[in-house]
Amino acid sequence: MLILRFLARRILLSLPILLGITLLAFIISHLVPSDPIVANLGQRAMSDPTIVAAFRSEWGLDKPLPEQYLSYVGNLLQGNLGKSIKSRRPVIEDLKAFLPATIELALSSILLGILVGVTFGILSAVSRNSWLDHLVRIFSLIGVSVPVFWLALILLFVFYSRLGIVAGPGRLDPSMTAPPLVTGLITVDAILAGQWDVLKNALSHLILPSLVLGSYTTGLIARVTRSSMLDVLGLDYIRAARAKGLSQRAVVMKHALRNAMVPIVTVIGFSLANLLAGTVLTERIFAWQGIGSYAFLASTSLDFQAIMGVSLLIALVFIATNLVVDLLYFALDPRMRTS
Amino acid sequence: MSVDRLRAFKHLSAGIALALLAAACSSATPTAAPATAVPAKATEAPKPTDAPKPTDAPKPTDAPKATEAPKATDAPKPTDAPAANKANTVVIDRAEDTVSLDPDRAFETLTGILHKAIYQTLVTFPADSASEIKPMLAEKWDISKDGKIYTFSLRKDATFSDGAAVTAKDVVFSWNRLINIKGNPSSLAGNIAGVKATGDLTVQLTLTNTDPSILAQLVNTAFGVVNSEAVKKQGGTDAAGADKTDKAEQWLNQHSEGSGPYMLEKWEPKVQTILVRNPKYWGTPPAIERVIFRNVAEAATQKLQLEAGEVDIAMDLTADQVPSLKSNSKVSVFESAGDTVFFLLMNADKTIGGPMSNPKVQQAVRLAIDYEGQKALLGGKASTPASIIPIGFFAAYPEDKALKRDVDGAKKLLADAGFAKGFDIELAYPDFTYSGFNFGTAAQKLQADLADVGIKVTLKGSEVGVWLDGYRQGKLGFCMSLWGPDFRDPGNYLEFLPGKKVGERAMWSNTNSDKTIQDLRDKALVETDPAARAKLFASIQDYLQQNGPFAPVVQSAVQVGLNAGLKGFVYNPQWFVDVSLLSK
Repeated sequence: MLILRFLARRILLSLPILLGITLLAFIISHLVPSDPIVANLGQRAMSDPTIVAAFRSEWGLDKPLPEQYLSYVGNLLQGNLGKSIKSRRPVIEDLKAFLPATIELALSSILLGILVGVTFGILSAVSRNSWLDHLVRIFSLIGVSVPVFWLALILLFVFYSRLGIVAGPGRLDPSMTAPPLVTGLITVDAILAGQWDVLKNALSHLILPSLVLGSYTTGLIARVTRSSMLDVLGLDYIRAARAKGLSQRAVVMKHALRNAMVPIVTVIGFSLANLLAGTVLTERIFAWQGIGSYAFLASTSLDFQAIMGVSLLIALVFIATNLVVDLLYFALDPRMRTS
Repeated sequence: MSVDRLRAFKHLSAGIALALLAAACSSATPTAAPATAVPAKATEAPKPTDAPKPTDAPKPTDAPKATEAPKATDAPKPTDAPAANKANTVVIDRAEDTVSLDPDRAFETLTGILHKAIYQTLVTFPADSASEIKPMLAEKWDISKDGKIYTFSLRKDATFSDGAAVTAKDVVFSWNRLINIKGNPSSLAGNIAGVKATGDLTVQLTLTNTDPSILAQLVNTAFGVVNSEAVKKQGGTDAAGADKTDKAEQWLNQHSEGSGPYMLEKWEPKVQTILVRNPKYWGTPPAIERVIFRNVAEAATQKLQLEAGEVDIAMDLTADQVPSLKSNSKVSVFESAGDTVFFLLMNADKTIGGPMSNPKVQQAVRLAIDYEGQKALLGGKASTPASIIPIGFFAAYPEDKALKRDVDGAKKLLADAGFAKGFDIELAYPDFTYSGFNFGTAAQKLQADLADVGIKVTLKGSEVGVWLDGYRQGKLGFCMSLWGPDFRDPGNYLEFLPGKKVGERAMWSNTNSDKTIQDLRDKALVETDPAARAKLFASIQDYLQQNGPFAPVVQSAVQVGLNAGLKGFVYNPQWFVDVSLLSK
C-alpha cells in the first residue's frame, strides 16, 4: 500500500514537471537570436514574401507566441506532439524511429558499465591498495576523464580501420538488410526473426560505440562501488560476520554488497538517463542515427516542435529512472519500507 | 566537459558547413587556364578513360531508340535486394540533409544528387562543369526577341519509369506544381509568368522579366519532370493552392515518378537512401544496379570507412584529411575549386562605412590582402577569384587574372585618400566555419595584412544570426561574408551591383555609383546572346577589380574521396556526382 501511495504521488507530481519542461524548452528555443526562416529557407527563398508567408503559415509561426505555446500544449494533451520542420512528419513518428537505436546503444553501454564497473569496484575494494586496486583506479580515472570523441576515433582507427576485428560505424553493414521491425532494436528483432547473421553483425557494430559511450559510466560505477564497499567493509557487522567464520565470498557478496548497493543504484539510474540524453557525440562519430543526432539537428535548425518533443522525452526518461531507482531503494533497504 | 562542448561546437560548424557544402566548379590552375573571358575549360577535370560517355546530353541522333531499351534480363530482380552484390552496388557516405524527396519541395544538396539520377530536366550542363547549356529532355528551344518567351521542343523517345511517354503536359504539371506548392525551391520560379503546352511535345515558358540566366536555373532538379498521371493518382495537384491541397509528398518520399536512369527504392530518413536502376530507362542503362547513400555526418568517420573499403565515395572530406589519404593506394582523392566566394564588404555609405566608403581606401584594401596566405589557410584547391564571380562559371576570369598583393600600392592609395597614417576600423564577421573556411582565423589573417598598410582592425565576431541581421540590413561598415550561388550562372552575381540585393547591403546605389557600372548592369540583366554576355561580364569583372565596395578574399575548395576501384566519377558543381556514370 505504501508503495502504491508513493507511486501515485510521484506520478501526479511529474505532470507539472513535464508541463514546466515544455514551457522552459519553448522559452529557451525562442530566446535564441535567430529565426527558423533563416535556418530552413534558402537565401533566395527568404527574400520571396510568398514563400516566407507559406512557410510561416504551414508551421504556425504566423501566430503570436503565447498562442503558439497554448496550441502546442492543447495538442500535447491530445497526444499530438506536432510535426517536425526538418523531417516534415509527426514528431512522435520521428521519436519512434530514432529512439530504439539510442535505447539499444544506451542499454548495452549500461550493461557493460554494470558488469565491468561493479565487478572491478568490488575487487578493488576487497584488495585495497593492491596492484589490482591501483590498476582499477587508474582505468576508472581514465574512463571518467577521457574525451568521448577522441576515444571514439582512436578505437575506430585501431580496431576497425587497422585490425579490422570489429564492424565500424553504422548499425549494420551496407550489405545487410535490417530484420522486420518489431521493437526497433536490431539485436532483438534479429533474434525474433531468427536472423543470426544479422544479429552477429549488429552486435559487432555495437561493440565500439558501447565501449565509448560506456567508458565514463564504467569508470564512475567502478569508483562509486569501490568507495561504497570500502565504507561498508569497515563497519562492525562485517567484522562480526567475519568473526562468525563466514567465507570471504559470503561476507562480500551477501553482507557487504547489499548495503553498499544504494549509492551504486543511484549512480546507475542517473547514468542510464544521462546515456539516453547524452549520446550526441558518440552517435555522430559512429553514424548512429538515434535521438542524439535528432536532437542535434532539431536544435541547429530551430525545429521547435522537435526540440520540444525531445525535451519532453528526456524529461520523461529522467522521471522514470528516478522512480525506478526509488523503488529499488525499497527493495534494497527494509528501513525505507517502514518509514 | 568544456572540451567536449567545444568539440561539439566544432562538429556542429563542420556539420553545417559540410551539409551545406556548396558545389565546386571544374578548376583551372593559373597555368592551365586560358587567359580569355571564355569559361575556363575543365582542363583538370577528371578524365575517366573508361567511364561511360556522359549520356545526359544526348544528341537526337545518337540517342538510343526506344526499341533498344534494356532487356528484361537487365532489370533488377526483387530477390536480389537483401544481400547487395558489391560489384553491382555503390555505397556513398554523405551527410543527409534531405527534408523531402518530392522534387517540387526538395532543395537540399543531397536531394540535388538523388534527383539528378531520378528526375530529368529539359536542359542540363556538361558532365563536368556549368559552362554551357545542353539539351536533355528538350531537343531544342527558341527564345523570343524580347527574351521573355522560351519555346521548348521535347524529344520523342523519353519515357517515365512506368513506360509512359514524357509529354508537354507533364512538364506543365511539374512546373506549375513547383510554383503553387510555394516551397523552398519555388524561389527559382519567381520570374515565371506562365507555362503552357502548345503541342504534345512543345512547351512555352513565359517570363515576367527578361532573364538570361533562366536556362541555368532550369537545370535545377526542382524543374525536373514528374509523371503527371502517376502523381495525380497519389493526390498530387498543380492547381493554385497546391501548398494546402497537394497530397503526393508522402508517396514521393518513398517512390519516384521520373524519367531518369534510377528510381527511388527506399528512403529511411537520416539512415540511408537507396536508388535502384530504372529497368525501363530510355537512355543507356547505367552500369551500377544499386546506389546506397548512407547518412554519415562526421568527416573523420567517412575517412575511416573509405580507408576500410566499406564505402566507394566519401563526399564530405575536409582539406586537412587529404594528405594522409594520398599515400593510400586503395583510395584516390578528387580535388577541385568550390564555388563559394568569401569576400569583404566595405560600406559605401560614409555614415556607416566611415573611411571604408572612400573608393581609394576600398582599392587599397583589395591590394593589401595576402591572397596566397588566405589560400594556404583554407588548403586544398582553394583559389583566388579575379572578382566576385567564382572561377569555373561561364565568362568568369581565371585565377591568373586575379589581383595580387601590392603593399606599396595600397599605402600610396591610402595616402592619396588622406589616410597616410592609417585609421582604426572594426571588422564584423559571423563566428563559424563554412566549407572549411573559419571566419575567425581568416579575420586574424586580414587583421595582420591590413596592419601592414596602416589600417588597424579590431575583430568583432558574433553569432551567425546576429551578424546576419546587421548584414542583411546594410548596417555593417566593414564585414566579411560569403556567397554561394543560387544557380550556376554569372547572372546570379549581378546582385553585387548598385541597387541590387548584395549591393544594397553595402549601401551601393544608383546615387553613389557611376554610370559605367549601372549601364553594364542594365545590359547584363537582359542580354541573352552568349558571346555578348561574355563580353559584358568581362567588363563588369574589370570594373570590380578597380572599383566598388567588395573585395573577394578566397574561393572554397572541394575534396571527394574515392575507392580506387571505382570508375567514372565526374564532379559537377550543380549535382556533384552523376551516379549513372559510375562503374566498377
